Amino acid sequence: MITKVTFLLDDVLETVDFAADPSVSPTTTVLNYLRGLPNHKGIKEGCAEGDCGACTVVLGELDGDSSIRYKSVDSCLLFLPMIHGKQLITVENLQNGEGMLHPVQQAMVDAGGSQCGFCTPGFVMSLFSLYKEKNVPSRAEIDGALTGNLCRCTGYRPIVEAAAHSCMHDGLDQFTERKIHTVNLLKSIPRGPMAIETGKQSFFRPSTIREAVSLKRLHPDAVVVCGATDVALRVTKRHELIGKIIDISGVEELRTITDRPESLTIGSAVTISEAIIPIETSFPALREMLSLFASKQIRNVATFGGNLGTASPIGDTPPVLIAYGARVVVTDGGREREVPLDEFFVGYRKTAMAKDELIKAIVIPKLRNGSLVRGYKVSKRKDLDIATLSGGFRLDLDSRGKVAGLVLAYGGMAEKTKRAVSVEKFMIGKPWDRRTVEQAMPLVDNDFHPISDTRGSAEFRMIAARNLLLKFWVDTTGKDDAQL
Amino acid sequence: MSFSHESASKHVTGEAVYIDDILVNDQLLVGRVVYSPHAHARILSFDLSEAQKVPGVHAVLCHKDIPGANQMGPVVKDEPCLAADEVICVGQAIFLIAAETEEQCLEAERRIKVEYRPLDPILTLEKAIEHQSLLIPPRTMLRGEPDKALSESEHLLKGELRTGAAEHWYLETQVCLAVPGEGNELTVYASSQHPSETQALIAELLGIRRNEVVVEVRRMGGAFGGKETQGNHTACWSALLAGVTRRPVKIRLCRDDDQKITGKRHRFLSRYEAGFDNDGMLRALKVELNSDGGCATDLSIAILERAMLHVDNAYYVPHCSVVGNLWRTNLPSNTAFRGFGGPQGIAVMETVVDRIARVLKKDPSEIRQKNFYGIDSRNVTHYGQTVEHNRLFLLYDQLMASSEYARRRKETDTFNNSHEFLKRGMAITPVKFGISFTTSFLNQAGALVNVYGDGTILVNHGGTEMGQGLHTKIQRIAAAEFGVSVERVKVNATNTSKVPNTAATAASAGTDLNGMAVKNAIDTLKGRIAESMALYFSEQHKGDPSRPDTLVFEDDSIRDSKHPDRTISFVEAMGMMFTRQVSLSATGYYKTPGIQWDKARGWGHPFNYYAFGMCVSEVEVDVLTGGHTLLRTDILHDVGDSLNPLIDIGQVEGGYIQGVGWCTTEEIKWDEKGNLLTHSPDTYKIPSVQDIPKDFRVSLLKDVPNPNAIRKSKAVAEPPLMLGFSAWLAIKDAVSAVGNHDLEPDFSLPATNEVILLAVERIKDEVKARRGAGVEV
Repeated sequence: MITKVTFLLDDVLETVDFAADPSVSPTTTVLNYLRGLPNHKGIKEGCAEGDCGACTVVLGELDGDSSIRYKSVDSCLLFLPMIHGKQLITVENLQNGEGMLHPVQQAMVDAGGSQCGFCTPGFVMSLFSLYKEKNVPSRAEIDGALTGNLCRCTGYRPIVEAAAHSCMHDGLDQFTERKIHTVNLLKSIPRGPMAIETGKQSFFRPSTIREAVSLKRLHPDAVVVCGATDVALRVTKRHELIGKIIDISGVEELRTITDRPESLTIGSAVTISEAIIPIETSFPALREMLSLFASKQIRNVATFGGNLGTASPIGDTPPVLIAYGARVVVTDGGREREVPLDEFFVGYRKTAMAKDELIKAIVIPKLRNGSLVRGYKVSKRKDLDIATLSGGFRLDLDSRGKVAGLVLAYGGMAEKTKRAVSVEKFMIGKPWDRRTVEQAMPLVDNDFHPISDTRGSAEFRMIAARNLLLKFWVDTTGKDDAQL
Repeated sequence: MSFSHESASKHVTGEAVYIDDILVNDQLLVGRVVYSPHAHARILSFDLSEAQKVPGVHAVLCHKDIPGANQMGPVVKDEPCLAADEVICVGQAIFLIAAETEEQCLEAERRIKVEYRPLDPILTLEKAIEHQSLLIPPRTMLRGEPDKALSESEHLLKGELRTGAAEHWYLETQVCLAVPGEGNELTVYASSQHPSETQALIAELLGIRRNEVVVEVRRMGGAFGGKETQGNHTACWSALLAGVTRRPVKIRLCRDDDQKITGKRHRFLSRYEAGFDNDGMLRALKVELNSDGGCATDLSIAILERAMLHVDNAYYVPHCSVVGNLWRTNLPSNTAFRGFGGPQGIAVMETVVDRIARVLKKDPSEIRQKNFYGIDSRNVTHYGQTVEHNRLFLLYDQLMASSEYARRRKETDTFNNSHEFLKRGMAITPVKFGISFTTSFLNQAGALVNVYGDGTILVNHGGTEMGQGLHTKIQRIAAAEFGVSVERVKVNATNTSKVPNTAATAASAGTDLNGMAVKNAIDTLKGRIAESMALYFSEQHKGDPSRPDTLVFEDDSIRDSKHPDRTISFVEAMGMMFTRQVSLSATGYYKTPGIQWDKARGWGHPFNYYAFGMCVSEVEVDVLTGGHTLLRTDILHDVGDSLNPLIDIGQVEGGYIQGVGWCTTEEIKWDEKGNLLTHSPDTYKIPSVQDIPKDFRVSLLKDVPNPNAIRKSKAVAEPPLMLGFSAWLAIKDAVSAVGNHDLEPDFSLPATNEVILLAVERIKDEVKARRGAGVEV
């Protein structure tokens, strides 16, 4: 059993022993750990909730036997035990041995990409992660890599320019040169189940579903996390002392993706980033939603299981997953059962899972020919914003062009992700034309009574919810505005 | 020439030190401010005894523990450091805690017992007006006979405009480290735009003398006005805790506390009446500005004044009256924010001009150009200052051409005619912004320049660096004045023991004022050096002496222009100065000449000069969701002879995007009890990388030297923010296209997706109603 956390920092294996060091706890964030060191003050806390990216670091993880995959993460949302076995790279590590700036740093200097400089280390780390991931990235890829970093001074244009001017050397740098050495160091870190006990707190990181479920039975009060991007806020914002945590990100059985002719099964511990390529061809509407899901840093750790398990009425994935007819596979370690996603949510942040069950995977059936699915997210800001409302819709037409099947799942309109059943019922058997859709729009009022909050008024939500139907009609009929 | 920010390499490597990064020993205490949960309440009693018992807690302070004056108001003394009997906003500081860890602070806070009697708060401008809750008597400005001119105008326009509050969202939250020395000495590392004021307030608070307090500012992680006065608060609290505990104390506000405690941009409720003729020429304008000052005065008077001084923006109004009301509400005291009231005033005028065009069914660009201040006539503002060096026509002609406005306007119309659910809109808007503090005596600056025997130069000046590139510009100014390479010059952290009694770095005037002060110091030094070196050359050329006034400083050397063979390197010369008994340290001082402003009459010449800029924005609006996309933005801005185009363009781009944020996604909401609902980036949305224009073209106007500032340059920081109005009015234009420009959209600022969608819906309903009534639309 592993009881200490070991990771690679500044080319040296660091070990944190929570039992011996009272200055750290299992819920100490990587941000606070680094800022407590004398030589890693470069990263900053801008918000402590994963919105600003000033705390961005890059994690290097073993990928197969001889390579390392780099991903940017918000260190303010990352508990120290979660970097066990990984390489932690901070802005201080980017200059090479001769003190030369890394290409992304030099490009930022040349483009005028820093003004006050406070957000800069975070941007530099996001750029570094892009540098390692994509050669000659497109503008969309650059934007995608930077949505999780806020800058209040520059207006971003010079930072985008710095990305375009620097990410062009096939990711080569001193990290490439030291790769074999780094791989060997990372391999030397012991793997396996982890249990950290400090007296006040317990942190478990099981390796198998069986272990995870038995831990859950033993500690019914424990919080189950995987990326912890949501749970971390309880520590950083509410200063809660979370007594027991079960981190399932080390359970390999939950990290698999299975592609079958009829469906795609995504393990609950698969990160959003990891799922993007596999879903790309069969599930374009889900792909579209995932590109709007939080930020790159959060997508790199957040998981499907987490987004469903938290059962938020404004989660990004549930509406479109319901539209695809997704099913949740839950397990108690022995018995498995499948729950249709629209029955999985039973109330505000409540699911149909029993206390000793875990989400194992999500099964997304592939569409029959002719089925049309779209996802919509209405939010104040395009990126890294929580939906005011969202929609995941599916349409099946019969041979006469009449509605044979319709799923209209809405987020942000009720205490849970919920279908507009009276609209669905009304439309069945009717022609999919504008007149009928417009007749159906007012029926949305029967299905929802949303609240007014900081993100929007009830009136706004209702109007937009009705309009999304029309938008769906426009999108599915290919009726470009010009033809109307 | 363009040079990167002087700290750019430190920024990108993480070496740049902000206050929270200063290495400290384990004697440091963590400070925490405990604030009011009520918008308005009597404090009936409180008990700190349990809190004081928490292990590790060194101090739990209330107002009674303040040795000096319980006050931190910058202009009017109406802001207690710690509330005594009454709290007047949520977020008002009542107690301070210092402990060894943050956890101990939190535990102590939980154990503080306070009994309040809640009182009725004023949380809206409407209620403040109803209760006549004024902070100061109304201000007025008047030129001509607006009432008469209105009654004689061919067209009249009346309306109301709401402009929202905004959060600064500097990346570095308010922070301060106060370190006690011997006796009463205190060294304060502050994130403050105004170190001299921070020093003065701390001295008064602690009942010590100003010569015992040193305030130092290396750099701020953004400020935007939010640290002009309110950086003082965190500094005062830290200093008080350090003074009482005699231990170093650091307070760093977490993001949510920062947003809840600190003031915002003033929200305004403005009413206007405009008269114009058939050609769209403005004849008269009456404006009433209602500003929400929050619970105390802060800088609200000057902010209101600047709003009143900018209701004209770039347009000549023959008859004009402006009334300014400053209302007291139970919200945190609102404060400086880039533009300092200017944006709120300009928003009114841009709305008026846009509406005139819509009434007359003309392109707004045409109405704007017609009403611009003239070059030789129609060039006096409503407060009596002549608009000199008017760049409006130059900007307009060049920008209309380079942005291909006319062609794209046609394309936009074509697009709108063939699209029902996507609509595009365009707008060109100008900015004319007065440069100078309107509190005239603030237009002064000081510097201390030291040269060392190795030929290196250390420049101290009163300005502070917050990302705007002030030190980078100062470094170049100093190098240019000395004729040496820029590497010789280092700009020191701003420090009140080096340069005392300074004004805030604000009003976009940091470079103008401090650059001149530095130049003056260098002129003094060059005089001394030249005198000594003339003697030196003369000693070597007996019978043919050198004269000090023919010596020139260039190419890292000192040379006699009359005798080109008499040259000495700057380094060698400086190495000789000590033995030649020449002082290489000099102060410089500058005050802006020619400014006079009669506040009571609202008349005079308050500004040294005007900065100009212009912007064309094009947007696309999704009329089903209210979402919008900035398709293209073209900006042409006047910075005189740019001291550093890279930095100036950075200021223009950043200012514009900040303006766009205020105009679109940044919305502040409070609940009915005065709690800020949008207190974190989760709900308060500043622009992110995908919110910038898909096509973003920014240029500086060429060949426009400014005779009134250092090296013919011009201030830049604030004016570009107001170019964001072009995006706002382009959205309005797109919404207007929903009704084929026959109906005017209801519009306010910010134009969030909700505002846009509701405006679209109203137009759709109206179109339907008119169709139903058989009205041709």
